[in-house]
Amino acid sequence: MSFLAHTMRQVLRQAPTRTSTLTGAMRCLSLAPALWQQNKPAAAAVAPIEVAAVAKDQQKECLSICERVNQQVAKQEQGRLFAVVHLCGKQFKITAGDIILVEGYWPPTTGDEISLDKVLLAGARDFTLIGRPILEPGLVTVKATVVEKTLTHTKTHFKKKRRKQYMRINFQRSPNTMIRINTIEVARPVDGNAEAEQEPSKRLF
Amino acid sequence: MVFLNIPLFVRARGPDEFWRKRRIFKLAAHYRSRTRNVYSFAIRSVHRALAYATKGRKLKKLDMAQLWTTRVEAGCQQYGVGLETFKEGLTRTSILLNRKMLSDLAIWEPRSFEALVKISRERSAVEGFPDIKQRSAFNQVYGLRNLKLD
Repeated sequence: MSFLAHTMRQVLRQAPTRTSTLTGAMRCLSLAPALWQQNKPAAAAVAPIEVAAVAKDQQKECLSICERVNQQVAKQEQGRLFAVVHLCGKQFKITAGDIILVEGYWPPTTGDEISLDKVLLAGARDFTLIGRPILEPGLVTVKATVVEKTLTHTKTHFKKKRRKQYMRINFQRSPNTMIRINTIEVARPVDGNAEAEQEPSKRLF
Repeated sequence: MVFLNIPLFVRARGPDEFWRKRRIFKLAAHYRSRTRNVYSFAIRSVHRALAYATKGRKLKKLDMAQLWTTRVEAGCQQYGVGLETFKEGLTRTSILLNRKMLSDLAIWEPRSFEALVKISRERSAVEGFPDIKQRSAFNQVYGLRNLKLD
């Protein structure tokens, strides 16, 4: 029993430390202002002097996180990037070299080079950029090539009702498009205070 | 097959018996026992199988959705956050990843997922969700509605 109690205590102890690592970790909401709570009015009940002091610390922390990300990207130490993109109503987690399958009618033809602009999330070994809901345009560029356009295998659509003389059979094939992801890159430095200002007309896919 | 008059046309139904049956037997080739060899048994099971396959294509999608939900729930429960709280927290922070992506992240990118859970947790603490009992770091800093908590 004492062993159980000990483990329970350990688990309980872990919970708050996890929360506190938020500021320590490089991972945080590094794109849009991480301190979006700043604008909200602080309650007077908590000691006000401390609040201001800690808030500044937080701000510094955020800036330093952005700097560290930028340094890593500049030195090419970030390793292989992955991204979550929104394409044709679906979200895909991709990395360079992947082939993804778009189902249904989709205009681009074989050999087209496209860039996937709706990047919801991009990450590397030590950092993650999280979009709200998408990263600002031009921050992470995802280049892709349309590799193949084919049809699916024949799907048999068969319905039958017993003893009712009802039977229907149809065959269908829908178009499929294969896309190879060529590169995923962080195109320009991350800055902590840039609010996403994008022109939606430019985003097609 | 010459259709000289209407009665003959009615009697000549479809392709030749051999070919008609062969189409069914080809689909039943991997069945066991008499469903493979006897036409009256084979056609019954082939029809049933095709109907199941038609329904199964829809069920597969529903099953996958259920699986993703389970995975995301398990993923956020290891940080002590419920699924609904987690999703609501993310939505209010306007992070619109779907469950498929969240489950993928939970499995393959655990640290990104942890960050997401933390963000969602902060948000729900700030918004004062009833599920979040524990005071968070941000909450103490900015003192937002933290009097409500614990």
